[in-house]
Amino acid sequence: MKFGIFYEISVPRPWDREKEKKVFDNCLEQVQLADELGFDSVWCVEHHFLEEYSHCSAPEIFLTACAMKTKKMRVGHGIVICVPEFNHPIKIAERTATMDIISGGRLEVGTGRSATWNELGGFRANPDDTKKTWDEFVRCLPKMWTQERFGYQGRSWSMPVRAIIPKPYQKPHPPMWVAVTSPGTEIDAAERGLGALGITFGSFKEQEDKVKVYHNIIKNCEPVGSFVNDKVSTVNFLFTHEDTETGNKVGRRLLGTFNFLAAQLLAAREAVPTRSYPSLGLLPALREEAAGPGDEAGVPEGIAIGDPERVLRACKKWEACGVDRVNFLLNALETVPQEQVLNSLRVFAKHVMPHFQDSSSQVAAAGGGGR
Amino acid sequence: MPRSGRMVVEPFAAKTAREIHGFKTEAWTLKGAQILNILYEIDNDTVEDLVPVTMRPAIPAYAMFNVTRYPESPVGPFTIAEVRIGSRAGVRPRGFVLRSYVSSEAAASELAKRWGYPTVAGQVYLRAFHDRVVANITTAEGRKALDMEMIDREFISGNDVQYVSSMHLARNKEDGKLVVVQVDPAWTFHKAERGRPHIISLDSQSWGAGDMLRADYPISASFTTCDVTLSKIRYYCDPAQDAFRGTTAVAA
Repeated sequence: MKFGIFYEISVPRPWDREKEKKVFDNCLEQVQLADELGFDSVWCVEHHFLEEYSHCSAPEIFLTACAMKTKKMRVGHGIVICVPEFNHPIKIAERTATMDIISGGRLEVGTGRSATWNELGGFRANPDDTKKTWDEFVRCLPKMWTQERFGYQGRSWSMPVRAIIPKPYQKPHPPMWVAVTSPGTEIDAAERGLGALGITFGSFKEQEDKVKVYHNIIKNCEPVGSFVNDKVSTVNFLFTHEDTETGNKVGRRLLGTFNFLAAQLLAAREAVPTRSYPSLGLLPALREEAAGPGDEAGVPEGIAIGDPERVLRACKKWEACGVDRVNFLLNALETVPQEQVLNSLRVFAKHVMPHFQDSSSQVAAAGGGGR
Repeated sequence: MPRSGRMVVEPFAAKTAREIHGFKTEAWTLKGAQILNILYEIDNDTVEDLVPVTMRPAIPAYAMFNVTRYPESPVGPFTIAEVRIGSRAGVRPRGFVLRSYVSSEAAASELAKRWGYPTVAGQVYLRAFHDRVVANITTAEGRKALDMEMIDREFISGNDVQYVSSMHLARNKEDGKLVVVQVDPAWTFHKAERGRPHIISLDSQSWGAGDMLRADYPISASFTTCDVTLSKIRYYCDPAQDAFRGTTAVAA
């Protein structure tokens, strides 16, 4: 199993210019350390208007900075919103290809569609259409990356034949993923040969069942890209400390803060009666997981919070479920001081990572894409 | 830090709150209800003054404009209209009810006694046409409190609709203290539609909101036919504390 880090970029009020800069600087410092410690990848979301919860509206800029500050880590869009009101598909193809070149072929492209009214309403996107536009985008992107010239007449967008340039550094193209939050999206992922960014947790049993279904279906998939990415990754929280009490206490504070923040946002399902959003999406799912029944330390099962032994047990359980990568959320509202975040990464790398296959050797073998 | 309610509750309660006669009412199951529910974004700058400290306004600020006709109930048919501010109690989505206009005095009285609803008598009109569903509310003093419609009706599944439970201020008859009462109804859908939301007029004062309530931007509209169970009260809160600290469970 591989380990990555995952950013929402949560900035507490009041938002003076130094505060936002400090949070971005802290994140980049964490990324640099994580690279040195052997974490495999850094991922970040694309969110808009999610006050305090996520100030990560330009992930391509943040990820480019990450690529510049690291040597080995892969950099991942987790995810880029495939809805035309947010991102034109040509721009996605161009931006990602450029990022792939600049990062030396280290880009992963997660795709998705947004699940909040804050964002969908802000961009005046129709919630009924997002699944359809996502499908159209993911079929077009690999062609835009690989064909010398590309033209298209589709449902949500069209273009005459043009050369979309530059082309990605990875050949044939970067690995593609989709965020799996709504029930059934793991099937969408498998049918299209896309990696599953399984960012809802559910129980271990539920996750294990989903992974089995995913692997069964992807064997007979019709890949949208030039190769199949059959990997499953999930998101978790991380705070670990040699001192059990500190690990639990600070970790619980991280969970509670995230939970509190995420709850305030307006899920598409809560706002709009539509069958396009059968579940509340990522935020409530993470919330429920974070608020789930805890063990004797008050930490929900499967959450990587506590001393290294407890975190190791949680990660081993995810590995047993068939998860290939866990991406860790490290902070929310800067509730964990930067020094403690950095220490937590070091403790994880020292005490937990060695119990899993070496992540640096996995980098070379990952994904596909002819690196 | 995250935004939170900051309503000064006593003056607001003096205008709107009713007396609740204990927290032990039995549930009412009301069959064949028709519910028009329109969501609009509202003024972000004033929303914190429209919910008590118990709750946090959702981001973005929004309100549910809800009109429900109950063709049968233990006190006869009635129609009720509410404005609920989209909020969170702890981490749960809730609507904070500013005021409830009720078409029948008997229903207004029972709803207040049993669940503490901030009821007041008024004319509440709800009617479905083929091209739209219309609702309007007129206060006893003749002010037009709300005029709204759902245009271009389109059938959907009841599974596509998500209502949230509500909370409201009430004065406990036993000790005279203000409480925030949670009511979490259960809905069994028979028919569901959606359409384009349109608020034609809204009188903020009629809802006890001074000049702070303004419908800014349409979100959605639904019209359903369902059975509604107004459940027993499970929780009430201290309006001076956030819901994490100030919630009391009502013994079954």
